[in-house]
Amino acid sequence: MTADTARGVPTAATPGRKARTAWPSRAGVRLLRLHAASRRVPTAIAAIAACAIGLRIALLGHWDTYGALQLPLVFEAGAGAAVAITTASPIGEPERVTGRWLPFLRLATALALTAAAAGALVAAGIGAHLAGGTLDVLRNVAGVTGIGLLCAAALGGGLAWAGPAGYLVVGAYALYTQWHHPALTTPWLWPARPPHDLGAAICAALVLATGIAVITIRGARDPIGE
Amino acid sequence: MTAVRAPAASRPVPAGRGPLRAAAQLLRLELRHNAMLWMLPVAIGLFWFTTYRKAMAMPPLWYPRAATLHGGTLLAFAFPVAGAAAWMGSRDARRRTTDLVTTTAQPRWVHLLVTWTATTCWAIVGYLGCVAILYGVTARQASWGGPLWWPVAVGAASLSALSAAGLAAGTLAPSRFTAPLVAVGAFFALALSTQPIQGSQSYWQISPVVSGPWDDGFDPGVATFYRYLPDLSIAQVMFLAGLTIAILGILALPNGRSGRWLRRPATVITTAGLLAAGTAVALAGTGKLDAHGMIAIPALHDAANDRPLRYTPVCSRTAIPVCLNPAYTSYLPATAAALTPVLNEIAGLPGAPARISQAAATYRQDAGNSISVGMAGPSLSGTPPVFRMLLPFQLPGPTMTTSEFAAAVRSTAGVDIVADVIGDGPGATPAQRAVAAALRTSAGLPEEVLRSAPTRQRPNGAIVPLPAPVRSAARRFAALPASARHTWLVRHLAALRAGRITLAQLP
Repeated sequence: MTADTARGVPTAATPGRKARTAWPSRAGVRLLRLHAASRRVPTAIAAIAACAIGLRIALLGHWDTYGALQLPLVFEAGAGAAVAITTASPIGEPERVTGRWLPFLRLATALALTAAAAGALVAAGIGAHLAGGTLDVLRNVAGVTGIGLLCAAALGGGLAWAGPAGYLVVGAYALYTQWHHPALTTPWLWPARPPHDLGAAICAALVLATGIAVITIRGARDPIGE
Repeated sequence: MTAVRAPAASRPVPAGRGPLRAAAQLLRLELRHNAMLWMLPVAIGLFWFTTYRKAMAMPPLWYPRAATLHGGTLLAFAFPVAGAAAWMGSRDARRRTTDLVTTTAQPRWVHLLVTWTATTCWAIVGYLGCVAILYGVTARQASWGGPLWWPVAVGAASLSALSAAGLAAGTLAPSRFTAPLVAVGAFFALALSTQPIQGSQSYWQISPVVSGPWDDGFDPGVATFYRYLPDLSIAQVMFLAGLTIAILGILALPNGRSGRWLRRPATVITTAGLLAAGTAVALAGTGKLDAHGMIAIPALHDAANDRPLRYTPVCSRTAIPVCLNPAYTSYLPATAAALTPVLNEIAGLPGAPARISQAAATYRQDAGNSISVGMAGPSLSGTPPVFRMLLPFQLPGPTMTTSEFAAAVRSTAGVDIVADVIGDGPGATPAQRAVAAALRTSAGLPEEVLRSAPTRQRPNGAIVPLPAPVRSAARRFAALPASARHTWLVRHLAALRAGRITLAQLP
């Protein structure tokens, strides 16, 4: 079956005018639901919620300054990894060939999950002492998710977590150097920059934009059988 | 090729070597297809970025570099090892081959053990490579001492435990989300496990990233005058080995992962592992900061490690020799140059030290994680008298440049040497204070430069301004030619120290 024939099938199968007008929304919703299910989006949302709850619980504890700064980064990396993992497709090549809407579905999934991750972690910090504040969370989640998406495109969705997890180590070390000089001040290590640092925000946004663009156009590199 | 030519089935295998050969072949296959192999570049890159660069910026001393290697390398390897092990553990579920593997001749537990062995082997190969590089470079730079192997053993045991934990998570909860959860969780657990440490008697010191008193940094004064104490490392290795055994034992417990006959020994193994780990945690809680800056655990302590190390000091060719522990040879020129003006002033005076010698620092646990570092006993003692001093980086503080180091030596040891020889202290007479001030000025240590550095005579760092008559007498004495000053001191120092000289009697 080719993409053209696949596109033709639903139209041919709907006889009445009413059915024809109702089709796009119902079919679209179904398509979205199926895409989300195939990418384990509900599990990713649960993982993001778990990260937010974990952060909230952790914030109840007593942390020194260094620990307090490092703590949100751990959960941000976890949430970013969860978003990146949803890029793994269990269907592979057949879906790429026939899925006309696939780029849009990938884009919608990545954007929605990134927004959900940022929102959940920001919400977790409300009323608690969240080091760095909301801007820090938004910037870090965006950047780490971008790294995860780029990793998914390069390594495959299943191993996309390696990027956020690796950046977590690098970011935590950059935070460490703020106490133990010489400090690392490059904006590419945004977790170590102040929340209002424009350069760091631009770098994180660039990484996210590139990651989303690459994932939208190419999708994750997924070996069949994984 | 036809099916007739396939040689595999007909080859006879000696009865005793069959299982071993099969296990070896399985291990070879696992080694070839293990995800940890592909994670090694990531781990080594993280090691270079977070640990190697930091260690190379430190003085070429074994303890600070070993402590940096210990904590840094473990954090760099934690997520790749745990993540790769979880990825390998969930492999059968991912490829939907669990049932296929379960029905083979070998119990599934054996397959998992082989997978764990392969993952751990690659992790330890990478880890030992990093250790070899860092220790190799340090061996070329360090002037004395040798590599510390206990921290390396703790690192290797940690990687085994991380690999077991990751494999167990991947096997018991196979999902595409397991590997990242385990990877991030491993980093979280290790990096933040030190947060609850309060003082040297904390059970949390069992955390494998801890190599000494927490929050003390990588003290360059530790393990140079006394042996490195392996007490805490032994407890950590015991904990990690117990944990590894317990986790691997747990993998044999559920139905389907092993034969029924394996369950009883697996239960015993798991229990033994948990007991070992629990005992190690209890032992870590009995640790105590010893006087030499390391954690001593009474049940694991070897009294032989409390004896000072023997060494031949390296000495300068100054008017009074300055002698340091050979580990600090690179600091000798700067130390000697900083003290030369003071030593020229006091050399040959009655009661002047015959030698300036570096002393070992003594450590005491204060409230929380704070530690006070000082020197036991008087600074000037013995016959002939020897002045004992601590180098500035033996005390807590930021890293120094060479010029900052020299300034700190001048304003601490330099001032103390003059004060000890002249008798300048809390009960000093005006004449003693005037002569001490004059000698400091002549040695390039006027009152203005002695602002903040605390010395033994000025523990809080404050300088009490000299009264006008004392200041005037000091200025007068300092204005004398060096030889006249020296001659007068040779004749009158004993009386001056005894408090029998008045300001008016000063030349």
